[in-house]
Amino acid sequence: MNQIILEAKNITKSFGNTNALKNVDFYLYESTIHGLLGENGAGKSSLMNILSGIYQPENGSLYIDGEKVKKLNPDIASKLGIGMVHQEFRLIDNFSIKDNLTLSKANIYTNSFHEGYEKYSDIFSLTVNYSTPISELSVGEKQKIEIMKLIFNNNKIMLLDEPTAVLTPQETNQLKISLKKLSKEDGKTIVLITHKLKEIQEFTDYIFVLKDGVMVAKDLETKNVTKNELITLMMGEIKQSEIRKDNQKGTNKLEIENISFENTHSNVPTLENLSLKVRAGEILGIAGVSGNGQVELANIISGIEREYSGKVIVNGKNISNQGVSSRKNLNLSYIPENRLGVGLAPGVSIIDNSAVKDYYKARFGPHLSGNKMLNYLNILIKQFSIKAPNPKAEVSTLSGGNMQKLLMGRELISNPEVIIAAQPTRGLDVNAVEALHDLIVMQRDKGAAVMLISEDLDELFKLSDRIIVMYEGRIVKEFSMDEADIESVGLAMAGLNE
Amino acid sequence: MNKYLLSKKIVINELSTFYSFLIGLSIGIGIGSIILLTQGQNPIEVFSLMLRLSVGSVKSISTSLNKAIPLILAGLGISIINSVKLWNIGAEGQIFMGGIALNFLYINTEISSPNLMIVYLLITSFIGGAVCILFPAIAKVLFGVNEIITTLLFNYIIIGLTIYLVNGPWKDPGSLNFPAATYVGKEVYLPTVFGRLSYGFIICFLCTIGVHYLKEKSVFGYELRISGGSALTAIYAGINAKQKAFIAMLIGGGLAGLAGGVELLSQTHRVSTGLSQGFGYTAIIVAAITGMRPFGIFLVGSLFGALTIGGSVIQTMGVSSYIADVIQATTLFGALIAQFFFTYKIIKVSEDV
Repeated sequence: MNQIILEAKNITKSFGNTNALKNVDFYLYESTIHGLLGENGAGKSSLMNILSGIYQPENGSLYIDGEKVKKLNPDIASKLGIGMVHQEFRLIDNFSIKDNLTLSKANIYTNSFHEGYEKYSDIFSLTVNYSTPISELSVGEKQKIEIMKLIFNNNKIMLLDEPTAVLTPQETNQLKISLKKLSKEDGKTIVLITHKLKEIQEFTDYIFVLKDGVMVAKDLETKNVTKNELITLMMGEIKQSEIRKDNQKGTNKLEIENISFENTHSNVPTLENLSLKVRAGEILGIAGVSGNGQVELANIISGIEREYSGKVIVNGKNISNQGVSSRKNLNLSYIPENRLGVGLAPGVSIIDNSAVKDYYKARFGPHLSGNKMLNYLNILIKQFSIKAPNPKAEVSTLSGGNMQKLLMGRELISNPEVIIAAQPTRGLDVNAVEALHDLIVMQRDKGAAVMLISEDLDELFKLSDRIIVMYEGRIVKEFSMDEADIESVGLAMAGLNE
Repeated sequence: MNKYLLSKKIVINELSTFYSFLIGLSIGIGIGSIILLTQGQNPIEVFSLMLRLSVGSVKSISTSLNKAIPLILAGLGISIINSVKLWNIGAEGQIFMGGIALNFLYINTEISSPNLMIVYLLITSFIGGAVCILFPAIAKVLFGVNEIITTLLFNYIIIGLTIYLVNGPWKDPGSLNFPAATYVGKEVYLPTVFGRLSYGFIICFLCTIGVHYLKEKSVFGYELRISGGSALTAIYAGINAKQKAFIAMLIGGGLAGLAGGVELLSQTHRVSTGLSQGFGYTAIIVAAITGMRPFGIFLVGSLFGALTIGGSVIQTMGVSSYIADVIQATTLFGALIAQFFFTYKIIKVSEDV
């Protein structure tokens, strides 16, 4: 076992009232690849941002080569040899590769750039000339330059935040080979942040697992752990369901048939031949790591995305050709994943936002009744216990929980027949989550067909009557609640179908 | 170590824009005074003269308000376009285009009733302004071209067109080589009240009420607000955000065109390069100071009209009329800074490791 090069002890960090990290211990061995595994929001990025000096922890200490670090900011971290590649590239598009690599004062190849570039372009199997501007590179090549930048800045500890998220399988494979060479032959210490199990098993030597801000497993030797063990660690045990599941299910309210969707925009997943049905009084859980086509599916059902093939049927009626407004008239409600930005318009008042779904009910010809809107808001505030003192204040002044209550209240008050709820409780505190879950179940009991898109398996197991798993734009598996267990759903989410 | 952060206030005082304006105006007058002092003038004397000559009598008030009409109308146009968070920097060109369109109709038609003719002419000037912003609006909604650049550049095109017309086809043979079009007939001059106050001011007041209603009380205004807040929310709500932005831009351009039409029929009575004296640009200041509120634009526009008149009359004292421009600009500057502090608070956060 190699020597410990960096040690973080007892790190605690909170944002507002939420604890992002609780007494986390973390350490890195020299010339080794470490995997940091965890679900979205588990605290992976927070921890990396602390190590690279971007965030200051409330508590805890950091040792590099056994010496305590008194003060840390990105500059000092870089001097101590810690560098990070963020999910979004931080390259200057109009500059050449060489200019980007030599931009920093810390560059150690000032006088021998060619030598350095030759050595590392070889390790990265990079075949482009260094005078090429960044804008002409592929995403995979940009990723390599980002990592190379750390090397040129003499960063021996390299923190890579989801580096494979944007790569093709071939590029991912190549990156794996390059990173192994870097650690074994060049002595670099690497941390790979990911929630993809396959990669963590192939890339790393040691694995650390974060869950809800707690380091639940450290120093696991990769070759000695199985996928199933990792999934259990990452997702935790499922709490006993407290929701009655004796609900009466009725006829099919929402049916989609053979939906296919292709978009030329990069990073938008393609949907392939999706079909599913949701009955009245039923909650269908859609599990999947975000970015596997769930948003696109929800947009297609709600009418926002119109360029698709296949059928959307509500109450037996084919509505594939109808737009958002006429679908709303069918009493279809959509609670979008992006609550501020899609569901609610930032910079616009609370009262205006409360009327987004039903504002046409307050109109008389061209006139919009302010009183009717205010009454409607007051009903929402009362019925859904929203804390919103000033209707004219911008909606972004509300807390996350109140924002979501406003959004869900607005969408649910008309007792819709079909509800699409995407990540309805993400990032909210426990009490708000409970209240919102109750709302969803209440709608179910009133006979609504609910499609619940979530990454949170606790939530899906608690609320769903059935679970469908989406992976790379396809439905890979369907579970009834009797046969669903955390391991098999987790494996399906990771694209590993036995 | 402590770090200071800006945080948006939850409750913003409703009168904050008004207070900001007062603070800005004080800063403007203060800086104006300093400049006057460096020129060896007594600020109190200069300002009291400005005050007397701009609002000291019914006659001078009328003159000031006449000056305010194009500022208010163009400002209202900027305000309605800003409902969708877009900026119209092209009001200057739209004012000229309003005048050009009006003159085109005047030359080419004959209508027996002068009053009816005036109505037609003003509607035409509105259409002229709307046509002037048509290309920037199409470029914006179809291709996302930045409207600030296109509306600004259109000013130069339209002023070029004006110069061509008044030196070429429309040149008045009797103008002793001064580049201007022939005067319109007296029968289509806008009538006046209180001696010289143009009927344009009444149009202006009605437009203020209309724009206020449109922005604050109508379905259209609501749809504009949502579209401006987030295009994605608009799509989600089934609002055609692009269509709304397009219509708002045409109305806004049209109001600036109407400003040109009213100015022509009440003041200049002909197309020339002097039809607008930077009204379209000053209107941006007026609209920005008031936080795009229609009644605010009406009041501040009136005040700025008086300032301009005051500025021009103090030239007789040997003081440059640009002192009025200095005050207008520093008022905007001061008001924006003051508004910033009404909107944000500075909070101290501890940054200890």
